[in-house]
Amino acid sequence: MATIAPDSPRAVADKRSKRTLLKAIRMALRVESPAVRHNTQTFNRGRYAAFREIPDYEELKDRARAIKEDAIERLPELLEKLEQSIRARGGHFYLAPTRDDATRYVANVCSAAGARLVVKGKSMTSEEVGINHALAERGIEVAETDLAEFILQVADEQPSHNVAPAMHYSRERITELFHRVFKVDEPLDTGEDLTRFAREKLRQKFLAADAGISGANVIAADGTLMLVESEANIRMTALLPPLHIAIAGVEKVVPSRADLAPFLELLARSFSGQPLTSYTSIISPPLDAPVLGDRKQQREFHLVLIDNGRTKMRQDPLLREALYCIRCSACLNSCANFQAVGGHAFGGEVYCGGIGGSWEAGTGALEKARFAELCTGCSRCVNQCPVRIDIPWLNSGLRERLNKEDAAKPGALLAEIMGSGDDGAAPLQKLFFGRYDVFGKWGSRLAPLSNWMNRLPGARGILEGTVGLDHRRHVAQFASPTLVDAAKGKSGRARSVPVRARAVLFPDIFTNYGAPLRGLATMDVLCAAGVDVEVGEVSPDGRAALSQGLIATATEQARACAKLLLAWIHDGRDVIVVEPSVLAMLRLDWRHFLPQETFEKIRARAYDPGEYVMKVLSGDVTQIRAIFDAARHPKGTNIFYHSHCQQKTIGAATPVEELLRAAGFDVATSLVECCGMAGSFGYKKEYYELSMAVGEDLFAQVRAAESDGERILVASGTSCLEQLQAGLGRPTVHTMELLAGTLAR
Amino acid sequence: MHCSKPLPVCHNLGLDLVEEFTSRAREVTATVECVPASSEAIAAAVSRAAPNAKRLAVAEPRDLDPSLFSGCRQLASAFSERTKDALATADVGLTEAFACIASTGSVCVASDGEAAYISLLPRMHIAVARKSDIVARPSDLLRPDVLGGKGLARSFVYVTGPSATADMGPLVRGVHGPHKLHIILVD
Repeated sequence: MATIAPDSPRAVADKRSKRTLLKAIRMALRVESPAVRHNTQTFNRGRYAAFREIPDYEELKDRARAIKEDAIERLPELLEKLEQSIRARGGHFYLAPTRDDATRYVANVCSAAGARLVVKGKSMTSEEVGINHALAERGIEVAETDLAEFILQVADEQPSHNVAPAMHYSRERITELFHRVFKVDEPLDTGEDLTRFAREKLRQKFLAADAGISGANVIAADGTLMLVESEANIRMTALLPPLHIAIAGVEKVVPSRADLAPFLELLARSFSGQPLTSYTSIISPPLDAPVLGDRKQQREFHLVLIDNGRTKMRQDPLLREALYCIRCSACLNSCANFQAVGGHAFGGEVYCGGIGGSWEAGTGALEKARFAELCTGCSRCVNQCPVRIDIPWLNSGLRERLNKEDAAKPGALLAEIMGSGDDGAAPLQKLFFGRYDVFGKWGSRLAPLSNWMNRLPGARGILEGTVGLDHRRHVAQFASPTLVDAAKGKSGRARSVPVRARAVLFPDIFTNYGAPLRGLATMDVLCAAGVDVEVGEVSPDGRAALSQGLIATATEQARACAKLLLAWIHDGRDVIVVEPSVLAMLRLDWRHFLPQETFEKIRARAYDPGEYVMKVLSGDVTQIRAIFDAARHPKGTNIFYHSHCQQKTIGAATPVEELLRAAGFDVATSLVECCGMAGSFGYKKEYYELSMAVGEDLFAQVRAAESDGERILVASGTSCLEQLQAGLGRPTVHTMELLAGTLAR
Repeated sequence: MHCSKPLPVCHNLGLDLVEEFTSRAREVTATVECVPASSEAIAAAVSRAAPNAKRLAVAEPRDLDPSLFSGCRQLASAFSERTKDALATADVGLTEAFACIASTGSVCVASDGEAAYISLLPRMHIAVARKSDIVARPSDLLRPDVLGGKGLARSFVYVTGPSATADMGPLVRGVHGPHKLHIILVD
């Protein structure tokens, strides 16, 4: 292999070392961020718009998921059937156990056909096995014909995205690259110029090619390939040369052509929002078309399916989920961190984004999945995945496995004290952020001493040096008394006759130890809405532990906490949770820890306080306005409301926005997926710059909404409030404290 | 196994198929014209769509009445040489489309036979389809009871507008495949 320039993305592709990951983030923020941001956000908006038009989106996803589950379950049988189908049509079938087997086979087939020039369509699997290199060694020229792959071939870079692999290149950078490499005089200053230039080069290749290599998006066991593209290079690759080789992972197989139906409806929409891209081919090769120029020549077709770790993934309950992936990239485009840095930072040598860690671990090595650290668990991708993969859950699982490898020696003693069960060996930073329940409890008990110690000169430096808590971040004070203590002796009686509902305010650890006033404001709001409310017992829910990959701890905590909540529910009370990340734990993540029946029971009764007020007042604007009149708020009625990422995912953001509007607030909202803080992510020293870069989208939207005057900054999540304050330098208000300020005195 | 069942037809798309197809096709910059099902009308429509065409390749139809293309074959620009170079330098390729998709504005063209080349290599692709072959959504074609199950039996491509790319920065129409798509709907 040629040497890699130190400033090339290839130099930071292998992220087994965390230093490389951090270097890649810096490189991406410096060079690639503007183009990646523009492209991913355009695709992201397109996807949301496209699925608003589809009446049966959820059914289609269920169907796609069922087909993939069934296909992976029956994989050996389907592969056998596929082999028979291909051979019956006169094609060749090869199941390659390893990447070397795959490249050797393809190179042999090309050599045997006397091929000197191969045209290639975009294929992530061929990147994975490294076809180009193997062919080059035989003296066979490979022309990448997808324009994005063409750019990457010219620049010698790895893909930064599954579907648009050169999306990190702006038009200006492509112009600069082509001028530098091709040394041409003609103007290449528009997309049209650049496209014409590449087209002319590649058309010659198409007409002269001896063989074509493509991937496949979905393969039916009856011998059908589904090939999705827009440029027509894949149609040419499969049709013009007499030899066509299709390369794909074994996981692409579904039982029959009829099973392509939901993927046809979902794939392009999930990527860019287009109902279909320009060309979706449904073909059963070898094609029944004469070879132009030599009508007597027989067409030759080879289907090469790659295992390369997939059989092992199939037997691994965690990584098996990744085999359902159809590489649509919805999880990449909907990810705030990915939008900021793209796949050269948030990705490995081949695969990138939230789902990429599982792929690098499954087809490469666990250590290559280190970039999965950039998955903050914000959950915005969860509802976007057309095959319903819980990607944050996969990344928590990878983190747990990596934690075991990373077991920090200097923190081993503390780790032993704080870890629970299998989590004992996690690195110190993971334990610090994962066990806020312990720190919060002791911090509150020892307050104000703990807060005073925290302010001692050098204390923040020590925290940064030991657990990586960034010194630039504001850290919430430990509260004394806690919410549970403060609520004692405070009436939680409904201020309506009759009482409209009965609820328990669950004192999540963040509200209890960090923001008891927020909890008390919530009590006031609920009572005013006619809810009889009691404050429950504090119990860690598992969110903090899960976010650090401390799955054993999270499981234990979830089970103990569920028991407590069930008792309240059986007593006829709904459960109100102030912190959205904890509410999302109950309504989304606990499915991994609890029996389904228990999970469903709690999920159906757990609410965001604003969402709950909407429910008990049936969204009645007149009543809402009478109780919560924005005009009574001392700071005015113009607000900017930023809902929490996980709150959006569980559907608890819209009702809160509606409540605020019903109360009479003029509400501007953010369109960002996540504020960038994402729980503990932005507090970590190594991710501070990335977190602030992500936040910049939000800050810019606030500034735009404030062109006609300042608004009250309102948010529902602890970390969102911190991030808004850090980025805009102004105080922020929690939703419940805002509403408490509208009550009649 | 439930998996091989076709997707249910989605009745609540609520589409007037011709109207929806036409507007969707136009959204992706295809042009659409409706003409009577006669050889003369189609030849006239082809001449209108590509008035300056010097070289026109006509693919033999498989589903439409072959005589419908006879007027086009007699146009001065029509040629019959079938080499890569001849087709790659043609201005216009004329093929039939055996189905159209209302919700996406796509035409479905065979991926084998000479239509595969003729719909791909020339600068402009003109597809002729029957209005009665418009179905609601792409997945309908993968049902045995739609258009006689043709979509389950053949190799074909859903063509949705001309070839396009966003890889060079802004969206550009006209890449390796046709730069223009014109659709002629016949009764």
